[in-house]
Amino acid sequence: MAQATQTAAGAVRTAAGPGRRRSAWQTFKRDRQLWIMILPAIVVILLFNYVPMYGIQLAFRDYDFTKGLTGGEWRGLYYFRQFIDSYMFADIMRNTVTISLATILLGFPAPIILALILNQVRWKRGKKMLQTVVYMPHFISIVVLVGLLNVLLSPNTGIVGYLLRSMGYEINLLASTSAFVPVYVLSDIWQHCGWNSIIYLAALSTVDPQLYDSAKIDGAGKWQTMRHIDLPAIAPTIMILFILSMGGVLTTGFEKIFLMQNTLNLPVSEVISTYVYKIGILSNQFSYSAAIGLFNTVINFFFLFVTNQIARRVSNISLW
Amino acid sequence: MGWILRKRTPGDVLFDAFIAAACIIVFLIVAYPLYFVVIASVSDSTMVATGKVWLWPKGFSLYGYNEIFDDTRIWRGYRNTILYTTLGTFVNLLFTLPAAYALSRREFRARRFLMFVFVVTMFFSGGLIPTYLLIKGLGMTNTMWVFIFPFCVNVYNLIIVRTFFETSLPRELYEAAAIDGCGHFRFFWSVALPLSKAVISVIGLYYAVAHWNDFFTALVYVRNNELQPLQIVLRDILLSNQVFQSGAGTGGQAGGYAQRYADQIKYGVIIVSTLPILLVYPFIQKYFEKGVMIGSVKG
Amino acid sequence: MKRAWSLILAFLLAASALAACSGGKNNDGGGGASDGASGGSGKRVKLTAIMTKHPLTKPFAEMEWLQAAEERAGVEIEWEEVTADWGQKKGALLSSGDIPDLIIGPNAITDADIAMFPGLFQDLRDLIESYGPNVKAMFEAKPETRVLAAQMDGSIYGLPKYQRFWPATVTRQYINQQWLDNLGLKMPTTWDELFDVLVAFKEQDANGNGDPNDEIPMDFAPVGTGGFGFFHPTVLLGSTGITLTNASGQGYFMEDGAVKNFFVDERYKRFVQFLAKCYAAGLINSEVFTQDYTKFQSVARGEGNTAKVGFTWGWEVTDRFGNTLAPQYTSMAPLRETADSDVQVSWDYTYDALNYGVNMVVMSARSKNKEAAMRFINELYDPVVSMQVLFGSIGPNIKDNGDGSYEVLPPADPAMDPGTWKWTSTWADNGPMYIADDLVLTLGTDMQSVGAQTEPLMPALNAIDKENDVLPTMFIKYTPEDNSTLALNNTNLMNLAMAKFSQWVTAGGIEQEWDSYVKEAERTGLPQNLEIIQRYVDEYKRNQ
Repeated sequence: MAQATQTAAGAVRTAAGPGRRRSAWQTFKRDRQLWIMILPAIVVILLFNYVPMYGIQLAFRDYDFTKGLTGGEWRGLYYFRQFIDSYMFADIMRNTVTISLATILLGFPAPIILALILNQVRWKRGKKMLQTVVYMPHFISIVVLVGLLNVLLSPNTGIVGYLLRSMGYEINLLASTSAFVPVYVLSDIWQHCGWNSIIYLAALSTVDPQLYDSAKIDGAGKWQTMRHIDLPAIAPTIMILFILSMGGVLTTGFEKIFLMQNTLNLPVSEVISTYVYKIGILSNQFSYSAAIGLFNTVINFFFLFVTNQIARRVSNISLW
Repeated sequence: MGWILRKRTPGDVLFDAFIAAACIIVFLIVAYPLYFVVIASVSDSTMVATGKVWLWPKGFSLYGYNEIFDDTRIWRGYRNTILYTTLGTFVNLLFTLPAAYALSRREFRARRFLMFVFVVTMFFSGGLIPTYLLIKGLGMTNTMWVFIFPFCVNVYNLIIVRTFFETSLPRELYEAAAIDGCGHFRFFWSVALPLSKAVISVIGLYYAVAHWNDFFTALVYVRNNELQPLQIVLRDILLSNQVFQSGAGTGGQAGGYAQRYADQIKYGVIIVSTLPILLVYPFIQKYFEKGVMIGSVKG
Repeated sequence: MKRAWSLILAFLLAASALAACSGGKNNDGGGGASDGASGGSGKRVKLTAIMTKHPLTKPFAEMEWLQAAEERAGVEIEWEEVTADWGQKKGALLSSGDIPDLIIGPNAITDADIAMFPGLFQDLRDLIESYGPNVKAMFEAKPETRVLAAQMDGSIYGLPKYQRFWPATVTRQYINQQWLDNLGLKMPTTWDELFDVLVAFKEQDANGNGDPNDEIPMDFAPVGTGGFGFFHPTVLLGSTGITLTNASGQGYFMEDGAVKNFFVDERYKRFVQFLAKCYAAGLINSEVFTQDYTKFQSVARGEGNTAKVGFTWGWEVTDRFGNTLAPQYTSMAPLRETADSDVQVSWDYTYDALNYGVNMVVMSARSKNKEAAMRFINELYDPVVSMQVLFGSIGPNIKDNGDGSYEVLPPADPAMDPGTWKWTSTWADNGPMYIADDLVLTLGTDMQSVGAQTEPLMPALNAIDKENDVLPTMFIKYTPEDNSTLALNNTNLMNLAMAKFSQWVTAGGIEQEWDSYVKEAERTGLPQNLEIIQRYVDEYKRNQ
């Protein structure tokens, strides 16, 4: 009891005295409950993420099994240069950026729009049914999804191919270089939009119904309600998730592209991850692939960092 | 206050119509391929591959499901996966929620520094080999604990929970409680958690599904068949029947009979793998219902 | 909150309930020591092993010959049977040094792995001397197996296999004889004659079902982005005189002792032009570059008695077309490029890839029971045991005639084909083996028919100058640096060449783009690769 009073009093005292700085130890004591709460997470992250981090230097060294991961000959930026100078560098960078940017640009707003639409549905049972159906594709494994695409989009025998042909388009969706990115991105949205909208729906569910009532009293239409109540309610979530997605500008995933690749779409479908896979098939390229991976993540992190700084200036919402 | 009736403006009617149309389109686009998966899982796969199946199953056969459920490893896989998922998610939440709460308190001095330290790990990693050596050094390889503790805090999920705590637990709430002598522990347990059912359900679902779908952990760290989760078994069955994906080559891998139904197994595997998760979602969904925050902050 | 707890409780209860469920096939491959002959057979050394098996293969505990072999060698092996994702598992396994006593499987541990992890694998030379008489016998009878096994410094880490019975080529050429008869056409012998026949197939309702548009005159297996492989139209290059070796996936072939690459050869240009002409005339399946292998095989099985495909390549007639339609097809001899071409036609020489294998079994240098492990390996190389490794146990799969000769039995399930039966019953081609040339074994119907169907190709195959026109890359071991250079350059080259191949066939343009394409190919590092391979081949020939 006494301690609590002192804490409250201490808070008041600090608020009252603007020039007074507390020592680090006193801050620590004040926040000690918070430190205890965060300690398990710190231990886990330090142990499983930071301890193995010494492996990053494999990008700068040759791999020497007899001397362990840290004993190989130091090569500095050799493997990075090898990648940047390589014959395929320009193509795979261009393809990777195209695919991942298209995925972000189209794939980011889609779940938000879906959540806003679903939130407006009044018919409870219909809403539940639609919600359940819409998140189901998320669970289809990639192997099966690509198999589905091959069957449904086949120009001669697939239903989508049939529909397109009856509308007059002669395009082979599985083959043409211009169709690869749209098919990839749209099937991605189809698969994950529902699942990704769950978080926005949850955010929308925390909106105080009193706000809706007062809006009605003020005569606001549904569209205005959505603009002025729903959107601001999920704005922090949108902001944070957007910053995080900018950390994926060079990330495309491997399995789906690898399965969708064929010789006809190869000029646009060869990306960093498939390249790393191919060079490793018959020759062990530990250092080279570590270097490529590090190159990849440094660029990703840079984009995340910049986006975070901008977000902090522009709004009050940021990662750190 | 109750519902206050107001005249519907023309704008409202248009809006409602748009919403209804959008819902129907979304439903059809999503539901048809799913329906296709179901009928393909009981149809002759040569007919599926040549596009003869699009509305009704053709060449009905339960061969695919027989093959899958006949395999005793499936039942052991289900048992293991259920165990890893429930225990694992529980540990996930145990570690993540308090940490997210701590990071959401603006007065916590170290919060920006710690957040940065956490986010860095989303990008930079030592790679598979050092991680494998570490886990082996901790004695977790080939045990069930490798599914529970390593990486049990997912920073992405942590950030989402933190954002929720920040925006829906305003400072006034805590200060009001603090005056009455409530510390962070009490506040977290009695106030924060009950008010955050929506986000806890969502993050719990995210973690649970990640456990459910994980096959990489078992692939690399586990050799003992008794510990294998469902996804490994299914992947094995799936790949066994994709034999015909790569060339026939040496020795004549014709297997005409098996090939006729190879794709059935492919589609049947999805159903078998996702049915349990589909059954869970309705329970979670009720936490998204409106009205969770009523009356918490007065004035 | 209470709701959540009851949910968790429900799940845990469900989990324990499921634990009680069992029944049906037990596909438990490994994890426990193999049972069968373990009761009271004296003290047996315990070993651990990994094998990369084919997905169809049954659990090892059910293989009679294996249990017997383990018993004779005095070992009891705990098997880990890997059917998928070996590449992903391997990296972590090798780096941690955490490997079992034996690793078995076709090139499961590659030469690159052996070079990258020195000291991890056991040099087997001394062990072979003391405990491996069967292996020594194989080296003596077939010296090329020793070449396959030896690293550049003479040490032996991985043992090879020799299967003896496989044909000289993996790809056979088939045409629908019934369609030819229906339309009164002769068997084509040149590319132009083939073109005319295919046009007739397309326009004249060759399968006689009333629909003139459902025939697919030519189809071939899906082409991968990493290069060509089996059952691809590249065998047509034989008509121009080029001999492919083991399908020459990345384009490398040998001519008069010189290492070349067909991707930049004028003859390849003519070959692509021919295919483009066919495609433009609608003679090739329009989905040929987008369909997957399952669909490719499904299409060839037609509908009932009506065939869909006229001309194609495959392993064997029933495998390619199914039992119903197989009788309609005959296998063909290689075509000549033009009527007045006097070049000796050739084909794809795949004898080496089909009959030999490298690094089928390796041993851990940290094993505590090397002699026992070697004794087990030795059992595998006994020709009678090898025969069972390949075809299955004596009894259900092989008949012992009692006079020293053996016979492969047909499958126990009459609906199953011999190939699937072999793969289901035993390790088959994935295991180490030595099928001695003097072993008397009557083969099953599938192998016999493959032999019969290869007959039309034999004149061309026999005419191949094995010394100067077959690339011996299977027998060559590269240094890790050279291997890495080759791999990186080949990845570049394949990215360019395969995309261009499919683009030129479907959309044309080869005349305009050929010259710049050849220049581009040089930038991928191709000349460097040719120089490296030539160096190694010359060295190999000098040491012969």
